[in-house]
Amino acid sequence: MSSSSTPFFLWRHLNKLRWLVLSLVFLMLVALPFVHVYQTYVASFSYDLLDPDEKELFGIMEALTSPLTDNPADDLDAIKGNTWSGNFFGYKISDPLAVAGQAAASLSVYWPFVLTALIPILFSLLLGRFYCGWICPANFLYELNTIVALSLQRFGIRVGHRRFDRRLKYLVLVLGLVLSAISGSVLISVIYPPAIVGRELYFGIALGGVGAGLAFFVLTLLFDLLVSRRGFCRYICPGGALYSLLGRFRLFRIRRVVENCNDCAKCNAVCEFGLDPLHDDFGQECNNCTACIAVCPTDALTFVTRLRDEANQGPGHLGRKYKHLQQDSG
Amino acid sequence: MKRRRFLKELVAGAVASSVLKSSLAEAAFSAQTSQRYLRPPGALAEEEFESRCIRCGQCSEVCPNRCIKYFDLENGIDSLNTPYIVPRSKACILCMKCGQVCPTGAIKPLERTAEDILAHVKMGKARVEKSLCLSYQGKTCGVCYRACPLQDVGIRVGLLEQPHVLEGCVGCGLCERSCIQLPQAIKIIPEHILKATASS
Repeated sequence: MSSSSTPFFLWRHLNKLRWLVLSLVFLMLVALPFVHVYQTYVASFSYDLLDPDEKELFGIMEALTSPLTDNPADDLDAIKGNTWSGNFFGYKISDPLAVAGQAAASLSVYWPFVLTALIPILFSLLLGRFYCGWICPANFLYELNTIVALSLQRFGIRVGHRRFDRRLKYLVLVLGLVLSAISGSVLISVIYPPAIVGRELYFGIALGGVGAGLAFFVLTLLFDLLVSRRGFCRYICPGGALYSLLGRFRLFRIRRVVENCNDCAKCNAVCEFGLDPLHDDFGQECNNCTACIAVCPTDALTFVTRLRDEANQGPGHLGRKYKHLQQDSG
Repeated sequence: MKRRRFLKELVAGAVASSVLKSSLAEAAFSAQTSQRYLRPPGALAEEEFESRCIRCGQCSEVCPNRCIKYFDLENGIDSLNTPYIVPRSKACILCMKCGQVCPTGAIKPLERTAEDILAHVKMGKARVEKSLCLSYQGKTCGVCYRACPLQDVGIRVGLLEQPHVLEGCVGCGLCERSCIQLPQAIKIIPEHILKATASS
């Protein structure tokens, strides 16, 4: 039997880093529309014509951006877009689902666009469904929604805990692509929450009105709250399905160190996707969010580099069940 | 509020358009506003555009003139969240930034040069309604000519500054935006309407 080892201490803090990244991405999606509005004010030399509150925005944005650039109208174009597709200092990065949906809609492949999804695809092959846990702006809101659900539960209000078949989302992915192909329009972007969140934030802040996408997104929030915890991501999201497929044989994955485990099952309770780390069942759905590592009281979860999950390793060696087993056999 | 009223008008226009489907002039000068929108400069033909556009919203995010808006459900689900321009409320200044930022080539990446714009930008064509135009009523105006970024290529003026639209017109809509008449005497007929009427 190998001696038990504690995981690298920083793994415990990855969950904090994840929340930081999620917040920063969301903050970016809120800030970019304001940046755009400010740029248009600058480009049109219209300061004297602005309303008082527009002048206030101008002042704030000027104070924030003047250390970075003397020419905001052009230089602030460096970062544009959202997680669905964006420009970062001249590099275009797009969601693999956008590429799949666009290829389906036009029934042809536009290579310059396919190349923009290369980096996300590579990262997904290595890290699995990490986008869902670490970047997705909708996930940020869905996790906050989970917190709302938990506090509702504390007040005795029932929230949904229904379970469905996880494979449903692959059907949604296929249906979405088929529908895009039939209509000749990238309709999969209409049911994909991160794309919706990015768009609607921009519509709401810069264009002064939200659209049908927001109504759809609110419905998914209610679905998560009243029907199934994190149900949209787990059972419906077409992007989640695509990322799960890409990350099936991911190199970096979480593994239970059975020698340290005491069967407390906190990992199962905290897992947003309802997986079963306690019985080594991560699978392609795991988004490496590291919430289970952070919550584990005995440091029994760690990152490993291997292409497959461990088969069920049985009860944790610090737990009561394992001791009974030992006594029975010994 | 403005947007909501505008949407209502668009819906009303869509209903009206299904009743009154006829000639080009009617397409432009009746209340069929739902039909009369422009795609951003350098956009592909309508159907190809819808199959290319992934609705990322970046074209509007770089537009310094804030003229690019997005459809909600008023133009059908196929155009949900795709960009459009209504030239009378805000016209395109042909800065060509939207094509540079578009990831899918739904809006072609073009340089801001007269050659590139004349060769590849096909938003529509301006059309003058002489019965409304001041210059044709003997009151010298010429505002549309002065607003045009492609003077003497897209539009020229004759006697009393009477405007004549030329082959070079790309349909940016600055003339329609600037027309001092109400309703405007010069309107852009969008490319997709030109095509539809040419084929029928």
